[in-house]
Amino acid sequence: MITIVVNGEKRQVQSSPDTPLLYVLRNELNLMTPKFGCGLAQCGACSVLLDGEEIRSCITPVDSVTDKEVTTVDGLPARWAKQRSLSPEKAAKTLHPVQEAWIEEQVPQCGICQFGMMIKVTELLEHNPKPSDDDIKEALTTSGPSPHLCRCASYAAILEGVHRAASIMAEGDLG
Amino acid sequence: MSGSIDTGIPAASLSRRGFLAAGGAMIVALGMKSSVAAPGPGASLDAARPASWIEIHADDTVVIRTGKCDFGQSSIYTAYRQIVAEELGIPFEAITTVVSGDTDRSPDGGGTFGLLRNNVLNLRKVAAYTREAVLDLASQQLSVPRDRLSVADGVVSGGGKSVTFGRLVAGQDLRLTIPVSGELTEFFGLQVQGSPPFKPAAAYTIVGKPYKNSIVRPKISGEAMWVGDVKLPDMVHARAIHPATLGSKLLTAGKVDKAQFPGAQVVVIGNLVAVVSANEWEAVQAAMQVASDTKWSDWKGLPGHVRLLDHLRQNVKWDEVPATKGSANKGDTAVAAAKVHSGTYFMPFLKHAPIGPTVSLADVRPDGSVTVHTHSQNPQFLRRLIAKMLAKSEDAVVIRTYPGPGHFGRSNGGNAGSEDEAVLLSRELGRPVRVQWMRADDMKWSTQSSPSYADISIGLDASGRMASYRADHKGPPMQDDRPIGAILAGLPTIDPPSPTNPSRIHSAVTSVVDRWVYGAVPNVAETGHGTYQIGQRESPIGVGLRDHSMRTPIQFQQNFPREVAITEAAALAGADPLQFRIDHVSDERFKTILARLREESGWVTRRIPAPGARANGEAVIRGQGVSIMLRDNGYWACAAHIAISPAKGEVRVERLTIVVDPGIVVNPLQLRRQAQAGSLMGVSQTLHEEVAFDEKGITSEDWSSYPILTMAEMPDVKVVLAPRPDVGIYGQGSESANALAAPAIAGAFLDATGKPARRIPLRPDYVKALLTA
Repeated sequence: MITIVVNGEKRQVQSSPDTPLLYVLRNELNLMTPKFGCGLAQCGACSVLLDGEEIRSCITPVDSVTDKEVTTVDGLPARWAKQRSLSPEKAAKTLHPVQEAWIEEQVPQCGICQFGMMIKVTELLEHNPKPSDDDIKEALTTSGPSPHLCRCASYAAILEGVHRAASIMAEGDLG
Repeated sequence: MSGSIDTGIPAASLSRRGFLAAGGAMIVALGMKSSVAAPGPGASLDAARPASWIEIHADDTVVIRTGKCDFGQSSIYTAYRQIVAEELGIPFEAITTVVSGDTDRSPDGGGTFGLLRNNVLNLRKVAAYTREAVLDLASQQLSVPRDRLSVADGVVSGGGKSVTFGRLVAGQDLRLTIPVSGELTEFFGLQVQGSPPFKPAAAYTIVGKPYKNSIVRPKISGEAMWVGDVKLPDMVHARAIHPATLGSKLLTAGKVDKAQFPGAQVVVIGNLVAVVSANEWEAVQAAMQVASDTKWSDWKGLPGHVRLLDHLRQNVKWDEVPATKGSANKGDTAVAAAKVHSGTYFMPFLKHAPIGPTVSLADVRPDGSVTVHTHSQNPQFLRRLIAKMLAKSEDAVVIRTYPGPGHFGRSNGGNAGSEDEAVLLSRELGRPVRVQWMRADDMKWSTQSSPSYADISIGLDASGRMASYRADHKGPPMQDDRPIGAILAGLPTIDPPSPTNPSRIHSAVTSVVDRWVYGAVPNVAETGHGTYQIGQRESPIGVGLRDHSMRTPIQFQQNFPREVAITEAAALAGADPLQFRIDHVSDERFKTILARLREESGWVTRRIPAPGARANGEAVIRGQGVSIMLRDNGYWACAAHIAISPAKGEVRVERLTIVVDPGIVVNPLQLRRQAQAGSLMGVSQTLHEEVAFDEKGITSEDWSSYPILTMAEMPDVKVVLAPRPDVGIYGQGSESANALAAPAIAGAFLDATGKPARRIPLRPDYVKALLTA
């Protein structure tokens, strides 16, 4: 039996050690925001954070993440609440600023790629709170194993979404 | 206690079925015997009894139901709500629930396309009928003559009295029966009949506002259940093992290595082979092992993508399918010309290429009931196809729909690929089955947007004006709705596209669908030429390259050659291509948006090619290009500004400017987002996309062999909404925007290099060939 830490909780896993993390998250732990896109680390739909760095869960064997913390989009609100020491009442009502920005800016078309996009953007903003357009394009194109692909081509909305998220996070700092 | 009330509209009738102690509702039902409305949400699982269109509840909330689905463009959650709220006279927020797609819970069926063109007319008419019935009810209850009453914000008032919609229906069980025609499970579904009075556009207060899309928050928070997230009790995961070629038959199915994969099992139904396991990862691995051990007959019968244009020109017998004439044809294109431009234009096969491969679940029960969970743009027609495959009554089949990866028309005739395979496997195994296609299955075994080519010649008179336009558009059809699993299993399907297919939408005849807009040209001859699907008749299993509509089907294939040729004609005339268009369009709305495009895009009015245009060298050169299109009452103009490195063959789109006059803009926020994304997908198609195939089948199998646009490649996109509400018509959004980029970019290519780009994609190898031609 393998133990992994997902969204702040220790979870026992029955799956075989070579099972890709994506299948463990979705089928065993019922965390459905990482999506199956290609199974080849070519699109980014399955991205999760591993100790704060984006990885592709579709090609990552579950036994390779046992000593690290996995965060999915389901866990982003709690991650933000912890980072900003929000009260439990406030935390319960708060999405992560990236999620709020995605809603405010109406970023998605179909939305299937946006879970991976939001994971990558969270990683970016945790390192670089005020990224330029070029920083954002670099993060979502060349920084990982492959570009994060959006077939609906919602890229213009994503760009606006990242800037909005950065501004919400900065407001949080002031408030 | 039952009775009826005169609605004032001959076609609709309101009946009072009784009075209730608590609650109360008015439910709008169908005027068809076979489709009696069910008494409320969740009350019926009987597939023969779709529920109502609109329900007004005593608490002033309203439910609307539509057989159309959301594919990411938001219209059923935004525009539909706005249009219904507007006609009904209630606040947008009063519509608390939108039920869509599920065949047992939605009323009208039909395909999800052209939502604002025709499809919203159903709910809009229902809303208008309902408002009239509400006025009748209020007149009775308030004892105020009907003509002194008015409706606003969910309140009927007049004669010094007022009542809310909720109070009007409280304690009553009211049914408004409306007239419909058509068949629920037919391709186009039911159409609401009659002409209830519509609210004048000048009085709109809800249409035109930037409402947010209500499905975005649940999707982004992770609450929404996507089709791939559905889990059924006792289900198994399946992976299909598709044939080795598009014409192979099964010789022997491989066996599972039970030592390695103890929980896996092979299922064979005709040429349909699959591996199932309760454990998804085991199913994936065992399918790979079994596939390597499965033997198929060999087949070669495709021309290959390298020879595709030659094949279309030289091998296809274009007289097998009757040609069709364009509706704008006039005069005689043989008229003498001072100069003639002529060229051949080509568009390859394109993939819908959803980010997630098709996934569906099916539960075929011992009692004969069949439930399919999927993401379909035409669930009622899918229900018909599944029933036909199983030789069952349609009443036994229920299709439930969920959010899924956008696939841009692939399932507007029901299936996206995996649905029927799930049904057949569930029937075989007697338990629920989830079929998830892998990336390669989705690239190689789904349908594609068909290729085309066009021979165009344009005659210029001595003053450089277009005197004649002749175009012959040739390509395979665009609507094969046969479920692939049914074909492989050898079970009944509808017919493939042919000239004699009884279903008009499934004909192999190619019409001229790109609306002619250059009214000042005196002589026009456009002809559409159709054929059979490539390799389908030659394939021993009847598969070959199956085609399906995608975004702006056929219009994209015809608008690209037309608009590139018009730009080339402008070059021949020594004219500015934007002004050349203004000089030849007859519709003042096009003149207006082209003039606006010139301002908004920073267009430089001058001859084409640009001074200093070059087809070689390391240094980057730049160009501007323009395209226009009329689709679904929407007037679109696009300017592309590009940079090219001739030595490397690299094309970079730097700016895209779009001006759209869709008549009435229903939701400016959503239209802007749709147009941005749709046009950028067009940039993707223009720069990257072409389905690669050899003699046996498709060889594009992943994102490296079928690349699409990345964020680093995105140009600046400027979308300018230029509404004309006075025309009183709703135009369309993203699908129209999708077609604009390719001809504008090709025009900019000519501007920058002096060489025409008569094909896409403009990727380095083709660009280098174009530049040295």
